[in-house]
This record gives sequence, C-alpha cells and structure tokens, in this order.
Amino acid sequence: MMNALLTAMVLAGLMAAPAVGDVRDAVQEHVLPAASGFAATTAALAAAAQANCSATPLRPAYQAAFDSWMGISHLRLGPMEEEGRAIAISFWPDKKGMIPRALNRLIEAADPVATDPAEFAEVSIAARGFFALERLLYDPELSDYGDGDYDCVLVQAVAGDLARMAADIDREWRTGFAQELEQAGGENSRYLDPREALQAIYTALDTGLEFNALQRIGRPMGSFAKPAPRRAEGWRSNRPLRNVNLSLMALRDLAHALTDVATPQTDAAFADALDVAARLDDPVFAGVADPSGRLKVEILQQRIAEIRHAIANEIGRPLGISAGFNAGDGD
Amino acid sequence: MATRRGFLAGILAAGALPQVSWADAGAPEMLGACRDDAGAFGLVGLDGQGQALFHIPLPARGHAAAAHPTHPEAVAFARRPGTYALVIDCMTGRVAHEMQAPAGRHFYGHGVFVAGGDILATTENLIDTGEGRIGLWSRSDGYARIGELASGGVGPHDIRLLGDDVLAVANGGIRTHPDHGRDKLNIATMRPNLSYVSLRDRAVVEQVTLPPELHQNSIRHLAVGPDGQVGFAMQWQGDTADTVPLLGLHRRGAAPILAQADAGEQVAMQGYAGSVSFDGAGARIAITSPRGGRLHVFDAVDGAFLHSHKRPDICGLVAGAQGFVASDGLGVILSVTDRPRLLARHDGQAWDNHLVRL
Repeated sequence: MMNALLTAMVLAGLMAAPAVGDVRDAVQEHVLPAASGFAATTAALAAAAQANCSATPLRPAYQAAFDSWMGISHLRLGPMEEEGRAIAISFWPDKKGMIPRALNRLIEAADPVATDPAEFAEVSIAARGFFALERLLYDPELSDYGDGDYDCVLVQAVAGDLARMAADIDREWRTGFAQELEQAGGENSRYLDPREALQAIYTALDTGLEFNALQRIGRPMGSFAKPAPRRAEGWRSNRPLRNVNLSLMALRDLAHALTDVATPQTDAAFADALDVAARLDDPVFAGVADPSGRLKVEILQQRIAEIRHAIANEIGRPLGISAGFNAGDGD
Repeated sequence: MATRRGFLAGILAAGALPQVSWADAGAPEMLGACRDDAGAFGLVGLDGQGQALFHIPLPARGHAAAAHPTHPEAVAFARRPGTYALVIDCMTGRVAHEMQAPAGRHFYGHGVFVAGGDILATTENLIDTGEGRIGLWSRSDGYARIGELASGGVGPHDIRLLGDDVLAVANGGIRTHPDHGRDKLNIATMRPNLSYVSLRDRAVVEQVTLPPELHQNSIRHLAVGPDGQVGFAMQWQGDTADTVPLLGLHRRGAAPILAQADAGEQVAMQGYAGSVSFDGAGARIAITSPRGGRLHVFDAVDGAFLHSHKRPDICGLVAGAQGFVASDGLGVILSVTDRPRLLARHDGQAWDNHLVRL
C-alpha cells in the first residue's frame, strides 16, 4: 500500500503534467520559421525589383512577401517593436491619406533619398513598407511608370527597405531575443520570469485574433449605415480576405505550438472560422455594402471572437494569464 | 463652519491633538491599489524600493486614493460611478469613515486634500444634468459634507492642488449616467477641458480647451510640476488609428503645448494614456499606456519626445528619486531612469491604474 502510494507520487513527479504553455516550442516551431520565411520572401522581392522594377511583373513577388508577412505580423514583440518596424512594414490603416501624399512628395521632387538605403530608412513611414509599395504597384495613377522613371528607383528603395527590416527581425530573433524569451528570468532577459514570457506570446496570439476581427474585418464593415469596403486592408491588391485567412492559419499554428495539451475547443473554433473564410466568396469584402453580404462577413468576425473565448478558456486560464488588468479595463 | 472653528480652537487650546504622522504607518512613499490572484482587493503602502509596508483589504476594486498630506490616512474611492469612498486609517488598517456621495451625485474616482489637509475635495457627477461638481468634505468634522463647487465641465476625473488655493480639474467631457453604468453618452458632442478652480473665489478662474478636431480627446489625469506647471494625460475616444497627442503641458496664462511621439510610437499607444507624472526633478514628464505597453518620456519644457520604454500592462506612474516609478498588472514595481529596472515584485498581485506619491 505504502509502496504503491510512493510509486504513484514518484510517477506523478516524473511525468510532470504536460505543460500548457511552451515558450520554447512557440519560438522554435512557430516564430523562427516565420521570421526566416519573411526574410526570404522580402529578399526575393527586393531582388526582383532590382531585376525589373515595372509594376506588373513585380506583383507576384509582392504577393508572396505579403503572404509571409501574415505569418509573422502578429508577433509584435521584441525585434518587431524595435525602431518602429511593425508600423513601418505595415502602415495601415492610413486614415489621413498620408501614403499618397508622402509618395507624391518624393516623386515630384525626384528625391535622391531613394538611392541611399540608410537615408531611406529614415523617411516617413508613410512612404515605406507594404502599403507604399501597394500604391506604386497597383494604384493606376502611380503604377504606370517606365524603366527610367524615378518611381522605378522608389520601388526598388521600398522593396530593399522591407527586405532590410525583415532581415534585421530574423537576425535579432535568432541571435538574442529567442533566448531572452526561452530563458526568461535570467540575467539578460527583459522578461522577469517564464510566466512573463508566456504572457507576451499569449498576448500576441490574442491581439492577433482581435486585430483580424476588429481591424481587418471591422474597418471595412464600418457601421450598417456606413459600410466602408475601401477601408479593407490591401483592397487594391486583392488581399483583404486572404490576409484574414493566412493570419488565422498562422495564429492556429502559434496556438498549437504554445500548448502540449489537447485544446479541442480552440481547434474547433479555428476550424469553424477557417471554414467560414473558405466559403466566403468575397475576396475584398465588397459585400459589406449589402445586407446579405454583410451578414456573411459578420459571421466570420463572430467566429474569430469565438476563437478568442476558446483560447482564453483552454490556454489563458490554465496558465493563469489573461489580457492585461489595466489594458483591458482602464479609467 | 463656525462649529468646526470652535472645535479646532478647543482642541488646540487643550494641546490634545494627537500628533501621529505617516511615519507611524512605516513612512510609505507611495500608495497603490491592487487585486490579488484570489480576486481580493487591497490598498498597499510602499517604501521607496517598492516594498510593501502595509496591505489593507478593500471591499471592492477602487480607483485612485487620496493621501492626507501629514496624517496616515487615505481615502479610497469606489470606481465610477461609485457612490461611496472609504477613509482608511493606515496605522490600524481600519475604515475610519465611510463617505456617501450626496443624493443625485456619484464620485468619479479621484480626490485631493486641500486647506492643509482639513478639507477633502472630490470629483463628482451631478447626475440629472451631467454637470461636474467638486465636493468639499471636512475632515475634522468626521468627513462631513460642507459644500461643493462647479468643476467647470462634464465628467471631472483627476483633481490636483496648485499652491494653496487653486484646484486643477480634468473635466474629461464624457457624460455617464449610473443607469447606464460606464457607458459614454455624449461622445459626438463631448468637449473636455482643464479648469482651474479657486477655492477662495469659488469660481473657475482659467480654462484650457482643445482645438475642435481634438474634442474627443478626454482630459483625464493630471500631474503638477515643482513650479506649478500642469501636465495632462488624455484618452482618445475616436479611432485608435488616429495619431493624436495624449499629453499636454500647461502653465497658467499660457497656451497649452500638446506633445506626441513619432507616428509609429504614437500609434502604439492606442490612443490611451493611463497615468501621467513629472520626474523627480520636474525636467521630464511621462505618460503610460497599458494598452500599448509603453511609457513615453518627454521634455517638460518644450514637450519634445525623448524615449519609449516597453513594458506590458504598465500603468501606475509617479516621480522617483531619480526618474520615475511605475507599476504594472503583473505585480511589478519598476524604476525608470535611462531604462526600466526592477524595483520589487509582488507575485500574485496586479497593480491597479494608479500609484499615489506621498
């Protein structure tokens, strides 16, 4: 009897409950591959722009780079937060129309800043990143430039700047920040203990879901009286639904990497949302302007809200973490 | 009033006024409210290193506390739209008085002692009209209500004393009604202001408003610099993608300076500043955004943006011996000079919105 009890206790100790919350797996299986993929596709985009800067032939490389951005855009911590990179890569929404103004200013002056990568890294974020490039490649008023035009140099500058930021993010994750997260509580970590590192990753997961629901879908939905399909992210390049879809897949990947235990509610919620997205025949959310199309987009938004509930139940609560006490309920 | 004067004169004549001070409560330098893992709330006195000197249970989540300037006594306000406030004896940990907002009024969560600590001034809502009020309470009469003043706007939130006569009041501009909880009823028409209210004149003596395009920028929290400069922190009620300033600097008689970071950092604040404080020297001023996980530091003279420090759920902020002291929702107290540095950890406790410097 005593022996059996001891054995049970020893076994229980050895088997150490499968951990919800595996920072190392999240970093190794999710973050690092996504960062290196993003660096690779943006490098390819920069190379393609050097080879041929014309708008139409460059679009596939742009789309591929943006696809891989959806694999990492939710990881707004560490290297992504340095030097304002996240917003420089993806300046959206551009509510004040800063992007066309900034681009036109450079183009009208044929500003030589575009020929110097170090200087270009300092220009307004409105003239940098994916959404400046989208204007140059897809906006009919800007995309009809020829080989010898200044716009061509500008496209190469924006693509090169994106590749530089992606390479910096990739390198900084590998050469320091991954260890900071995995060795939270150590001398060289900005995270005081493993729970803080977990919280940072969990927050990225939850905030990423929220961003899809409230921004990527919520902005074009606007209100019933005032739908705003032209506020969708990347509508010029046909990306709005694709972005939500790819982002959800990346977030599902992160949720899985973060947990070793079964998360049936989370899995089902992701499957539901991705299923709704797959059946939504509305790539740019144009349907938000009519009642039935709007309902379909709204259902996708609701499904994403359900994922947030599921991860709170199955991942956040067992870890003892939640959205911030003050962030969620200020005054 | 005559009664209180007579009472005071009597005590003074008798030489019987007990001279207890904050030293008798362990000489805390800061107060903070917190919630623990079990869901219980408390008021904590902290030393300069962020260590707890006392921890007094509170019955519910509070907002800010008003600390008496000399006596170890703090007033903890219920969260808005609360109708009660608790006067806590920080030596015994007991509730010394329970203050009840007068009929038709509720507290907004902040208050400040004036008149050398004899009168407590509280921000309140006159519920029927939505007009802001400053309630006046006499400490020596057991926190009896002795009057009130107009706050100069709607939704007064933070309140601070400048010198010995003038109250700076952040009229947030947002109308709420207890029947609708914390719902904001007038976002389209709100018009916040910073009002200076003279206790002597019982009147608003100066008022700062924002340009019309910033009318949805709720002026919520205040800090007073060593020379009477006022810093005000704002919470944007419009789209979080708008990059609007969240910090203002003001000197009596001058135009306000609105301060913001570069566009990328400003967007990261998510239109929300939770606390504001000058540093110990009064040369710099900072705001926190728990939503953006950021502390932004500015030059207090010209409002130039200096630094961004990152820390999730950071909110409470006061001046430190050097730089600033900040608190977060993970139980950490930080010292922020050139970079954030751990002062103390209180595991299992989440620090609430504000720290109060004694």
